[in-house]
Amino acid sequence: MIERELVVANRLGLHARATARLVQVLSGFRCNATLLAKGREVNAKSIMGVMLLAAGQGTPVLLRVDGEDEAAAADAAADLFARFFDEDG
Amino acid sequence: MPVGVLLVSHPGIGSALLSVASQLLRRLPMAVEAFEVGFGDDPDAVLPSASAALRRVDGGDGVLVLTDLYGATPANVASRLARLGTPVRRVSGLSLPMLLRVMNYAELGLDELPAVAAAGARNGVVLDEL
Repeated sequence: MIERELVVANRLGLHARATARLVQVLSGFRCNATLLAKGREVNAKSIMGVMLLAAGQGTPVLLRVDGEDEAAAADAAADLFARFFDEDG
Repeated sequence: MPVGVLLVSHPGIGSALLSVASQLLRRLPMAVEAFEVGFGDDPDAVLPSASAALRRVDGGDGVLVLTDLYGATPANVASRLARLGTPVRRVSGLSLPMLLRVMNYAELGLDELPAVAAAGARNGVVLDEL
């Protein structure tokens, strides 16, 4: 199991498009993925689940991945956060 | 081959949901079309064009038909579609969370997708009071 502390840095936060990107990226991996923020734990491969976090810009989140390809999944997700979910900023 | 999806709805509903889902997900993992039934349309009269849309999204593994309002004319058109021979499962209460969740489970078969769609719609209702 790997845990990675990430911060939602893009201006719009974990809104629908960013959430869809994250779920699409993580769905390419076999490992389980959960996201913890604001005292809530959700399935990071579920769009509604991630949207329920209502995580705005600056929110710290903890990504927890567990499975054979967990390292690659954690890197891919962290990379997406760092790229502002491929948005302008 | 993924199951196909046909949105059968009142005017303006299915095409708008399809457009938003396409922009959120960039590329839809299933063949999806919107078929909108106009006010006053006769279900039997629109059946041939609805059936053509059904065949366009069918890749051979059947079609999940999502309707916006149970008992309304679009849903009645959908029930006729289910009797044409193509394997069809129908779920009403079409919404954006329902459509997004179905797209997230594109690899599932026709027998499993109705429950996925229903859960998507149910979980999309959040009492937003905090």
